[in-house]
Amino acid sequence: MAGRQMRIDEYRIEEEPYYLPTGAEVDIAEAAYQDGSPLLLKGPTGCGKTRFMQYLAWRLQRPLVTVSCHDDLSTSDLVGRYLIRGGEAAWTDGPLTMAVRAGAICYLDEIVEARKDTTVVIHPLADDRRQLPIEKRGELLTAPPEFMLAVSYNPGYQSVLKDLKASTRQRFIALSFDYPAPDKEIEIVRREGNLGLELARPLVKLAGMTRGLKDSGLAEGASTRLLIQTGKLIGRGIPVKTACRAAISEALTDDRELLAALDEMVSSLF
Amino acid sequence: MDLESLKTKFYQLVAPSLPNEWDVEEALIPLAEAETEHLDEIFAQIPAIWPVSHALCFTYLSAAAPALYCLAVDELSLWVHTLLDRYETGGLRGAQTFMADVEQQFACHLRGQGGLRLVDVRPRLQPYVNGLAGRELPLIVADEAATDSESIFLPGTIGLFAEHEDNFLLYKLMVSFQWACLEAGVFVAPPSLPLRKKSAHPLDCFFSEFQKPGNARSLYHLFETGRVLAFLRHELPGLMRQAATLLPRLPLAGDEAACPNLLDRLQRGLLRGEWPAGEPSPLVDRAVTLLRQGAEEATDNTASLAAVRELMPLLAPADDLALTRPLIFQGTLRLQEMRNLGLRRQTNKELRLIKAMTVQLPPVASKAAAREPDPGNGGGQQGQDVALIMDLESAWEQLPPFFQSQAQRIDNGEETVETRQQNQEQQAGSTVTEQSISATAGKGGQVFARSPHSRPEEGPEMTEPVVYDEWDYRRKGFRKNWCVVTEKELPPVQNVFIEQTLKQYRGQIRRLRHQFELLQTSERFVRRQREGNDIDFDALVESLADTCAGRPPSDRLFIRLARDQRDIAVSFLVDMSNSTAGWVGQSIKEALVLICEAMEVLNDRYAIYGFSGMRRLRCEIFPVKRMDERYTRVVRQRISAIGPREYTRMAPAIRHMTALFGQVEAKIRLLIVLSDGKPEDYDDYKGDYAIEDTRHALLEAKAKGIHPFCITIDRQAHEYMAHMYGEVNYIFIDKVKQLPARMSEIYRTLTS
Repeated sequence: MAGRQMRIDEYRIEEEPYYLPTGAEVDIAEAAYQDGSPLLLKGPTGCGKTRFMQYLAWRLQRPLVTVSCHDDLSTSDLVGRYLIRGGEAAWTDGPLTMAVRAGAICYLDEIVEARKDTTVVIHPLADDRRQLPIEKRGELLTAPPEFMLAVSYNPGYQSVLKDLKASTRQRFIALSFDYPAPDKEIEIVRREGNLGLELARPLVKLAGMTRGLKDSGLAEGASTRLLIQTGKLIGRGIPVKTACRAAISEALTDDRELLAALDEMVSSLF
Repeated sequence: MDLESLKTKFYQLVAPSLPNEWDVEEALIPLAEAETEHLDEIFAQIPAIWPVSHALCFTYLSAAAPALYCLAVDELSLWVHTLLDRYETGGLRGAQTFMADVEQQFACHLRGQGGLRLVDVRPRLQPYVNGLAGRELPLIVADEAATDSESIFLPGTIGLFAEHEDNFLLYKLMVSFQWACLEAGVFVAPPSLPLRKKSAHPLDCFFSEFQKPGNARSLYHLFETGRVLAFLRHELPGLMRQAATLLPRLPLAGDEAACPNLLDRLQRGLLRGEWPAGEPSPLVDRAVTLLRQGAEEATDNTASLAAVRELMPLLAPADDLALTRPLIFQGTLRLQEMRNLGLRRQTNKELRLIKAMTVQLPPVASKAAAREPDPGNGGGQQGQDVALIMDLESAWEQLPPFFQSQAQRIDNGEETVETRQQNQEQQAGSTVTEQSISATAGKGGQVFARSPHSRPEEGPEMTEPVVYDEWDYRRKGFRKNWCVVTEKELPPVQNVFIEQTLKQYRGQIRRLRHQFELLQTSERFVRRQREGNDIDFDALVESLADTCAGRPPSDRLFIRLARDQRDIAVSFLVDMSNSTAGWVGQSIKEALVLICEAMEVLNDRYAIYGFSGMRRLRCEIFPVKRMDERYTRVVRQRISAIGPREYTRMAPAIRHMTALFGQVEAKIRLLIVLSDGKPEDYDDYKGDYAIEDTRHALLEAKAKGIHPFCITIDRQAHEYMAHMYGEVNYIFIDKVKQLPARMSEIYRTLTS
């Protein structure tokens, strides 16, 4: 028990993460938490979903257990399994079970990447039962009121095959995230990237331009995260255009013509 | 070389054609004097040109020797390559123009002196401007820079500077400037401007208030240019910093003028910063002040309008500012076109409104209801239905006069669109894609000549025609937009074929289904893993025993559930050419039924398409079963309907399949082609040309990550097959009856 307690404490967030609310998302999430409803965050990559979860966990003073989903994630990876220790079989909780026991927030990132049969395990947790059956131990865990389940996905680039099942998505309170409005994004990039206004403004403008290139072959435009990374590179003394090339253009595409067009945008703006 | 041996050589090259002797002689006379080395190179090009056009070949022969004055011998093949491209876009006349001036049309470009062409910079600038605008703003070739709010027009080439970088920067400046004009609202009429004539742009109405509207227009444009340049300096400081070295070097109309007018002086100030100083003329003085003030402070175009209003009365009656050429990036104001586009958008919006209103109108006034009285009409619900289907005619009378007038103008709007489309075609030649045409007028595809032989019993065309390039091995290049592929519906046929096949092959089908079941997604436990879902007790016991015996125990103690997922999409492409008539066609159909029956136990996605056609403009594809369609009765009836049609132009069909595969996401994408011999078409599409084109289409498919596999039914194997399909990518079946059984077997082997 002591070991478990120690482990869960590692997931606590001590310092306030920087998060600039763009709408009513904080109020909604807190209300959902009070009601014991799970959260579904959707939005493009790098727009602040994970940061929002960190901020929420800090506000609610709950540990945040994050699981990045992938297509080889099995139910045992979430719930737990028996391991052999010193010739004996010992049960080890998976991250989901650990979060339920400790009344933490469990955040399943990119849930659509997980196989559909794995996602089903969260169903009884995500409705009013709030229970997690652990078949191998014959145990039925009931989540304490402090426990919260949150999942995220990016509706933009996933194929139709990787859509969320209706039976899964209809259990969640959904929060839609998008890139912040320009003035807010400037503020975020300025603060997180440690930049002056004179650089943050054209960076955000550049991001806006790349986001308009959907029809020209760019699946997704530059995210706020990329802008912050660019800002940090610039802060380390990398010249602006080189930083933009490394952190934005090259990160977005391999297409030579698109790269050239992105270079033209950068050279026009800076 | 004497004329006789030239003639002999020529006839050998164009055999089996036998062109008129006097035509050949006339074309060859200029070559009689040429050097042997030149002659060899000139003659080497004939096989590439002759099949394309005989007339072009003769013209080429007369022009080739003079062309070699400007070109090196090894540049000739490149020249011919470009010549053929010109011929395909501009016809014989275009090719003749091209050949007439080797230096200007070709050689200078080769040396990089011909200026920069829009075609070459478009791949870079198009996404650039789309990014700036946040929407698609096509870049179109025109005489001068301009915009009509839906496209940006640019000159076809810029050769103002010696350096390519400078010419490119000018292009970039032009594009950015035209975008900025839209963004800064140069074409927006302030509400204060009275609208005198609905069909004219309000700004044009404003200019026409003055005695010389041209002067007012030019002045307004210049003042706005000052404002837009300031806007650009704020929005795109990097660009304007680069342009700072370029602007002073741009040519000015005033440089040549003996007595520069007001506009010349202002242009000079704007570009080179040489503001007229110590001018005695109060007009110039005032204009300069207004221009600089407007550029600094104005947020919209009202200041420019005010400046025009103030300055126009001060101009001398003889001054003609319209004579001064606008700055090169400024271009022209296309106000009227913009107005037409705006009107069209408005009328479309109103039309939608009218339609929406028609549906909501009360049923009482419905003529339709009166004309066709429904015997069982009890009012209520049915009355409403009648209102919904009520024709526009009866709705018309109920419309307020405003809407009537608007709706009548809709036709005019459509005309504008069509002229615009024609303009686009003329201006951009073949670069206007069909999509953009259909986007402008919703009349996509009408540019293609439809064959008059379209068979009426065939189903309607299901999608807009798509164009594909064709590989010409002789010139090692593509013939651009050469084949037109149309998807046509295959009307389902009800007959006993399916029933008979199912009966005849019932044993085989059962066996196939069993074999295919084994291919299904399998879940199996893998023992002795380092990580897993469960403990492998056998391994655990062994490991404990090892520990007791003092041997190092294994750490592989777990069982893992492994899933082998099949993520396969397959397309069957079936030859429906005339030669498949009879047993071959019958066997292909039986094979399809068998494979479909077997595929139903698998989760693999599969599609079946037939292909045939005649000539490059009528390549036809018949969807039998689309990828997302289920194997229903209709699909079976369509398989029954597969029958011999026309020719085997295989490559466009393969390219179409490749394009369709682009929308399918699967780990393995398989294209299985079923045919009965060589690709061939009614025109020159035969022999090596057809084989090389097909081979190239298959290579293109492979490059896109599709595995092509070809099943050929023929009496004997041919040499060309291994070359065309690739050594391991085909199988040849000589006993037609084997096909149904072999095909399923092939599929099984290919995917497991």
